[in-house]
Formats: sequence, structure tokens, C-alpha cells
Amino acid sequence: MSEPLGRFAQQRPQRVRVQAPQDASLDIPATRPEQSAENFYVRQLISSQLRLAVAVAAGLLIMLVGISAILVFWPVVSQIMLFNIPLPWWILGVGIYPLIIIAGLLYNRAATRNERRYRSISR
Amino acid sequence: MTNLFSVLALVLVSLTTMLIAFYGLRLSRTTSDFYVASRTVRPWWNASAIGGEYLSAASFLGVAGLIVLSGQSGLWFPIGYTAGYLMLLLFVAAPLRRSQAYTIPDFAQIRFEDSIMLRKITTYLVVIICWLYIVPQMHGAALTLSIATGLPGWIGPLIVAAVVCLTVVSGGMRSVTFVQAFQYWFKLAALVIPTLFVLFQVLPEYSVPERAAAVAGQLKSISSMSLYETISIILALLFGTLGLPHVLVRFYTNPTGHAARTTTAIVLCLLSVFYLLPTTLGVLGILYTKDLSASNADATILLLPHSVFDGVLADLLTAVVVGGAFAAFLSTTSGLAVSLAGALSQEFFNGTVRGFRISTVLATAIPVVVALLTSSLALAGAIGNVFAFTASTICPLLLLGIWWRSLTARGAIAGMLAGAASCGLALLGSSMMPNNDSFWVLMLRQPAAWSVPLAFVVMILVSKKSPRKIPTNVDLVMALLHVPERSYK
Repeated sequence: MSEPLGRFAQQRPQRVRVQAPQDASLDIPATRPEQSAENFYVRQLISSQLRLAVAVAAGLLIMLVGISAILVFWPVVSQIMLFNIPLPWWILGVGIYPLIIIAGLLYNRAATRNERRYRSISR
Repeated sequence: MTNLFSVLALVLVSLTTMLIAFYGLRLSRTTSDFYVASRTVRPWWNASAIGGEYLSAASFLGVAGLIVLSGQSGLWFPIGYTAGYLMLLLFVAAPLRRSQAYTIPDFAQIRFEDSIMLRKITTYLVVIICWLYIVPQMHGAALTLSIATGLPGWIGPLIVAAVVCLTVVSGGMRSVTFVQAFQYWFKLAALVIPTLFVLFQVLPEYSVPERAAAVAGQLKSISSMSLYETISIILALLFGTLGLPHVLVRFYTNPTGHAARTTTAIVLCLLSVFYLLPTTLGVLGILYTKDLSASNADATILLLPHSVFDGVLADLLTAVVVGGAFAAFLSTTSGLAVSLAGALSQEFFNGTVRGFRISTVLATAIPVVVALLTSSLALAGAIGNVFAFTASTICPLLLLGIWWRSLTARGAIAGMLAGAASCGLALLGSSMMPNNDSFWVLMLRQPAAWSVPLAFVVMILVSKKSPRKIPTNVDLVMALLHVPERSYK
């Protein structure tokens, strides 16, 4: 038997030996085809919900860390006054809460939409 | 000076709490009633109850105290407490409700059927977290009692423990839900009333421009925290909320995953409204309350009425605050006692009603002893440390358990132990260090910024090393967690 050479050698698939399993407990998957389709849809649902949640959480984290960094590295903001109280006090004490609520409501709508889409394609 | 009104307010709050609890008693009959109110609580009720339970001594007294001590930086605490709920909504609320678990150890068992070890470790962590969280409530009770009424401080924790034991033992979760829904609105009122009185009294002063201009100077005179500390606290509060046992137990009382989300969105609104008040009172405390130091800053709200008013009106307003403060200690402690007793009784008493009652007594008695033997830190700071601890232990278990199918029990155990050891040792170490602000001391004092990522990394790496240990029923469990209920259209 000669050594296979040339560019065809790389394209030839690895030789695989096919043989019966050594132990008797043959593991035949019990899933029916409709079940594995169901599994596929569930995984899609999970990954779309996860993407949504991570996107909102990343937005929140970037906003909070960003604000704290701005207040440290750009102290000029503290010179701005609103009703004689420095602007950072307004931002931190009042301004962030509506943003958190809006993020929560938007997330709820999107998550419910994902679930409705799942309901319409599964079954 | 013994303030008669304050004593009356305290008695009134305790009695009302117990009355509502006994009213709930007639409704609870089975073990399931005791634990989770048979899952029939409506979103508004449930949201009020979550708000009532969550707003503890740290929120009611501690936030204003921190604003007095660390100024602008103190404002990050209420933001973190609220934003933590958003994280809970994003990652945990609906799947956890669908998991049909009563407690966090139950969740661990549903996700990893075979691992008794994981369940045990989770139980012990939950017990530690609950006790760590109850102790500051007891410190708050002692502080409030001694400052507002002049009675010896140790009576405060005893009153809280007694009332909590009676309410929880008599009615379980059903009555706790009623009690806590009531207590949210009561706490809100107890801060709205003094805030409005004080504002109406002092606002006319600021029509003089020089007086108004001086405010900014007073606010800015307080030194703020470093960037590392701020970020670490934000991380601890955001991720710590996910793992709080007494908060999670509330989600089991929602009828569906969708209802759990609606509830959480309402909670975000309730918390946002509430936190405007301690923030305002903290600012007023900076301007009006004299002689505040690290040891009594937590009493800012209690002392404020007497700094602005004299005589009976000041006494009455203080009494309102005392009532609200005790509502805060009672509601948080009873919520923690329920989840602590739930965990203890399932672990040691096979989950019987009698076991639940014995566990409740254990759950409240031990923190009282600890509180009487130790002295109080800043309340919001102490609670912040508990958040850092949950963020490094329970939070990665829940997040990865819910969202990552390749998590294994071995990985979960390794990650939680790594998080618990690193965060716990850092906090212990920092309490023994001299109180300077070098970077290394800060790293130990606020460990969340590195201990939370560490726990996640260990959990993921060890899981990757043991891929054969992925539970065989993982697809079924994932479907249970994420597929919307049939009844929901």
C-alpha cells in the first residue's frame, strides 16, 4: 500500500472503523422527532430571552458605571446647579429611577413577545 | 427622656402586625399554605408585600445615615437596591416562579436531582445569609428604641423577635403576605408625613438667596467614595439582590411566570417612589441635624423632627418614624424568618408544619443573641456586605443554573465555595485591618468587584472540566423554567 500523496490526500476523510458497541446497553435515544423539534424551539426561546436580558443588563451596567466614572473624572458637572442643589444629586437621587422603571417595562413587553412567538410556532 | 408617643407607636405597630397575622391564620391550613400562600396572591398584593419585605432597617434608617456620612456617594445605595430588582426581573423572576421550588435549596435540587451535596451547601449558605441579614435589623431595633424612647436598647431586638415568632408561627406565609403588603404602605406613610412637615417648615427659609446658595457648599463639603468602591458597591447590590432568599421566596406566590414579571415591574415603581423619601430626609439631615457622627448617623431620621420642631409636634413626628422603623424591622425579619425556617425545616425536620414552627424560633433567637453581643456598624454598610456575599454565592448558582445548560453540580459547588471563601475572608480581614484608604484595604472592604467574577469563573471552568456530569434531564428542566404556562394566552 503506497502512501497517499498530493492534494487529494488532504481531502480524503479520516478512516473510521465501524463496530458494534462493546457493552450490551445500547443507548437508543428515546426522543421522537417531534420532541427534538420541541427541544429546538425551547433552546431558541431560551437564547432569545437571554440575549434580551443581557442586552438590558449591559445597558444598565454601562449607564451606572459610566455615570460614576463621569462624576469622578469630570467634576465640572458638580458645578452645575439646579434649584441650588448640584446636578449630580439630582441625577443620582431622582433621575435614574424613571430610567430603571422604563427599562423594566420595555423588557417585560419584549419578553412576553418572545414567549408569544414561541407559543405560535411550537405545537 | 421617655417619649410616650414613640412607645405607643411601637405597641400599635406590633399589635396591628399580630392582628393581621391572626386574621390570616383562618385561611392557612396545609403545609403548602404555610410556605407559599398556595400561590394565589395577586400582583399588586404581592408587589406591596415584596416592597414591604425588602425595605429593611438599611433602607428606612440606613440610607439617610449614609447620605449624611458619605454625601453624594450614599445615593448609590438606594439606586443599587432598586436596580437589583431590575436584574431580578431580567434573569430570575419568571423562570424561578416556573421552577415550582419553594426555596433556593429546592431550586438546586430541581436543577441537579442527584446532588445531595449541592443542596446541603446551598441550604447552609441560605442560613448564613439570613442570619447575617437579620442581625443588622436587630441592631436597628436596639438603636431606635434607645434613641427614640430612652428605654435600654436590648429590649428592641427582643420585641422584634417575639412579634416575628408569633406572626410566622401562627400563620406562615399567607399572613406574612398580608402583613407585609400592609407594612409597605405604612412605611411609606411613616416617611411621607415627616418629610412633608419638615419641608413645609424649612422651605420658606430658602427664599433668601444667600441661604439657598449655602446649601450647595454644605452638600459638597462631605467627602465621597473612590471610583473602585462605588463600582464594587454597584456590582454587589445589582447581583446580590438576585440571591436574597427572602426575596426569592416571594416569587413562588405568583400564579404564573408572567404574573411574576408584572409583580416585579410594580415593585420597581414602589421602590423608586419610596427611596425618594430617605434621600430627601438625608439631605435635610445634612442641613439641620447637628452632631451626627459615624456612631449615630443611622438615627438621622429619628433625630430630624427634634432638630426642626419643638414640643409635642416633634414628639409626634418622631413617634411616626419609630412606628415605620419597627414596621421595617418586623417585615424584613419575618420574611427572612420564613425562608430561614423553610430551609431549616426542610433540611432537618422533613418539612412538617411542626418542624417549621421549631425552625422559626431558632431562626429568630440566634440573631438576637448575636446582635446583643456585637455592636452596630453602619446599617446600610452592613447590609451592603450581605449583598456582596450573596452576589458571590447564590447569584452565580441561580444565573448559570437558569441560563446555562452545561452547568454541573460539581461546578456549582466549587463556584459557591470559592465565592463564599473569598468574599467572607475579605470581609473578615477588612474588619480587623486599620481603617485606612489604601487600595488593598478597599479591595478587602468592598470585595464584590473581584469575588463575584471569581465565583462565576470557577463555576464555569469546573463545569467545563466535568462535562459528563451534566444532568440527563437538563432539557426537561430548562423547558420547565422557560416555557410559558399553558394558561397564559
